[in-house]
Amino acid sequence: MSLDDDDNPSLAPPPSTTTSPSSPSHNPPDAVAVATADDLTAEDLIEDEGAATQDFRAFAASLSRQQQQQQYRKTPGVSAQTIRKGEKDFESHGTRAQADALEQSRNAMREVLSYTRVHPAGAKVRGWYFPDWWEGYHEEEEDDAAGRAAAVGGEEEKERKPFAFVRERVVVLEGSSVASQALGRAVTGQAKDRPARGRDWLLPEEALYLVERGSLDLWWPLKGLEEILPPDRAVASNEGGEEADEYEQGFPLSLQAAYALLIGNDGERGKISLQKFQVYSNLKRCGYNVLRAPPICKQPAPAPSQPATTTLWQWFSSLLTTTFNQPPYGPLVQPGLYRSYASIYRQLALLPRHKPSPACSASASPPTEPFTIHYNIWKSAQKWTKLRHPPPDFHLAVVDAQQSSVPTLSEILPLLDATPPAPGKPEWTGLGRVYARLKHGYRNVLIAVVDHGVINYMRFAQGTFGVEEVYGSPRRTNYY
Amino acid sequence: MATAVERRVRISRVAGRYLVFDIDDVLYIRRHHCICAVLTGTMPQNPTQNLFLSLPVELQAEEAQLLVDTGAGYIADELTDHMSRLSTTMDECTRKAYLQHIKQQRRNAQRVFEEEKAKVQAMHQNKRKANKPSSSTPSTEPAPAAVTEEDNLLFDNPKPTLPPSTTIPKEKEFSLPGVTPTTSYPLLPISTTPPAAPASSASTDAATLSSYPLYKYLNSRGYYTTPGLRFGGDYSVYPGDPFRYHAHYLANSYRWDEEVAMLDLVTSGRLGTAVKKSFLFGAEKPGGQQSGVDGAGEVRVFCIEWAGM
Repeated sequence: MSLDDDDNPSLAPPPSTTTSPSSPSHNPPDAVAVATADDLTAEDLIEDEGAATQDFRAFAASLSRQQQQQQYRKTPGVSAQTIRKGEKDFESHGTRAQADALEQSRNAMREVLSYTRVHPAGAKVRGWYFPDWWEGYHEEEEDDAAGRAAAVGGEEEKERKPFAFVRERVVVLEGSSVASQALGRAVTGQAKDRPARGRDWLLPEEALYLVERGSLDLWWPLKGLEEILPPDRAVASNEGGEEADEYEQGFPLSLQAAYALLIGNDGERGKISLQKFQVYSNLKRCGYNVLRAPPICKQPAPAPSQPATTTLWQWFSSLLTTTFNQPPYGPLVQPGLYRSYASIYRQLALLPRHKPSPACSASASPPTEPFTIHYNIWKSAQKWTKLRHPPPDFHLAVVDAQQSSVPTLSEILPLLDATPPAPGKPEWTGLGRVYARLKHGYRNVLIAVVDHGVINYMRFAQGTFGVEEVYGSPRRTNYY
Repeated sequence: MATAVERRVRISRVAGRYLVFDIDDVLYIRRHHCICAVLTGTMPQNPTQNLFLSLPVELQAEEAQLLVDTGAGYIADELTDHMSRLSTTMDECTRKAYLQHIKQQRRNAQRVFEEEKAKVQAMHQNKRKANKPSSSTPSTEPAPAAVTEEDNLLFDNPKPTLPPSTTIPKEKEFSLPGVTPTTSYPLLPISTTPPAAPASSASTDAATLSSYPLYKYLNSRGYYTTPGLRFGGDYSVYPGDPFRYHAHYLANSYRWDEEVAMLDLVTSGRLGTAVKKSFLFGAEKPGGQQSGVDGAGEVRVFCIEWAGM
């Protein structure tokens, strides 16, 4: 209807939030929001989010305790917008207006944050916490990884499923949910009499993310998996049992308990570090598809190709030296007749430059924590599923702001080598796009720096100065 | 206020990180201890945005240490606490209390749902009545109370929609909505008794953090801090609650004898000026720890601004 509202590019990134505030904005009370949506400033985005928080207010008020709700409705001036948005003062001047404004912000915050996650009876998705179920799966997974490595190294045989991290999966989904399109993984190849056959198992970050966004009811089991999810899917009898006493089999866990159980130190099986979880959920909230990056297989394939590149380089340098026979003494530029600067520059280039190549560089050392790729990220797409997806759009490492410093060359090189070569777009050719190419680099990796919940994403790219010969550009040669 | 001071905030230590889950605790430390920390959780009411976040709040180690030092909070190791409670040896009493608590919340949620539904139904019914009479008999519009009676008399079809509103709740009686509470309150001891507390709250590793004295100094003067990542320092320092004020300083902590590179001052000073903040740095005088009261040595603080000559 109001096209200007929809065309606003600053509102584009979070699609689902823009639709929800824009639809109420057609109502008369929100006419102000529509009017201001014309100028494309960051302020606007906040404004629009402010409109979204009015949803929070209604939502929170409807679900919190009844008296509070009414009390909340009675106070006229309170707007959830005041939580973060709005005029700020330079400093305290001790007026009551200021104190009141602050109090309103705090009350609105309480109102919104005291929401309790509720799962409607019909659309209830329940997850059971079974941390040790796949503990013994280790051996097979290693085999699988090795086989996968071989497949990658050699010819791509039939489509293999992405690495599943089965050992890390700790929560089993009862029933199916919309989320299981992008999250979770069923472990195939199980015997028919195994319990919970064909069910989706969640990684800790997936489970915690779902719990946090209110899409998963996490339960602590009091009985074994065989009794809760019997192998032959005796659904009817199971449900009958539940009606009798639903707390017989287990009981729901709180968000606090979910954090306690699912957040752990790096390297703990079935847990994830808080920093990595924060990055994961931040990306998921933005709408990206995120999967754990498969462990880096010790690629045996690049080894034979290593000599090939060196010989290529040797061949190239030998070619150079033969054409411009550089004597050990004498002038750098040989006297003679030169028709262009290019050959002079070529003689001046004494030091070999790094030229990126698809093969890994000489340092075959594996990446070291924390500078390893933790997540593969895809932009949101319709066709994306957890099993079938194109190569990832981004590779990400998660780093703590306090516990690490800028990566050294020996840290960043293996990290970059672990990413596939991603030269810029094919249409970036010619002199005009030199800077686009340089900026994009040959390989690139994202590093998320986490400082107690505040996340900063940085992009490290391998510059390709070695392949950009500016002096050889046709324009320059034409001038001189 | 007097009762509020009694409050002891439960700081959950999860894998070496400090989280607070209780909204009352969060507001309490915000109000009385100048700690706002960072909201990190996904907002369940609107989970596809990053501007407004929800519980839990992540505290910096300095903040947790400060709360422990002032006796306003205690640190509980969340995993061991939960595992000891959740394992099968859990006593029947706490479990019952916990389940009772959840059931109560589920009933509340159910009731709110029903009320909402009734409200929506009433609204729809009103709309329908407003529409239908407008097409057939416009005269019935003004009085809704009269309409309902008239409606029941005149039209048979709206009538079947009314009974479901009364039957549905009965149907749902034994399939209440599920609830995920934010805290596991009745399950865990709500506040460990003071004698037990010091053991669990041994102290964070913040005591060894070099920036703790500066943090404590700023906090004691009523400044709020947030992680300084956004502006490239140790902290962003606010003159009051960040709800109301912009940050005035970006702060870095140094050791007393540490040589500060001139370039650091220039870069931070310039950066600070570019974002309308001044660069603050400070250090604790050595030896203050012995003489000072409860470990608070003398902290000296300086501010740098780009002169813009």
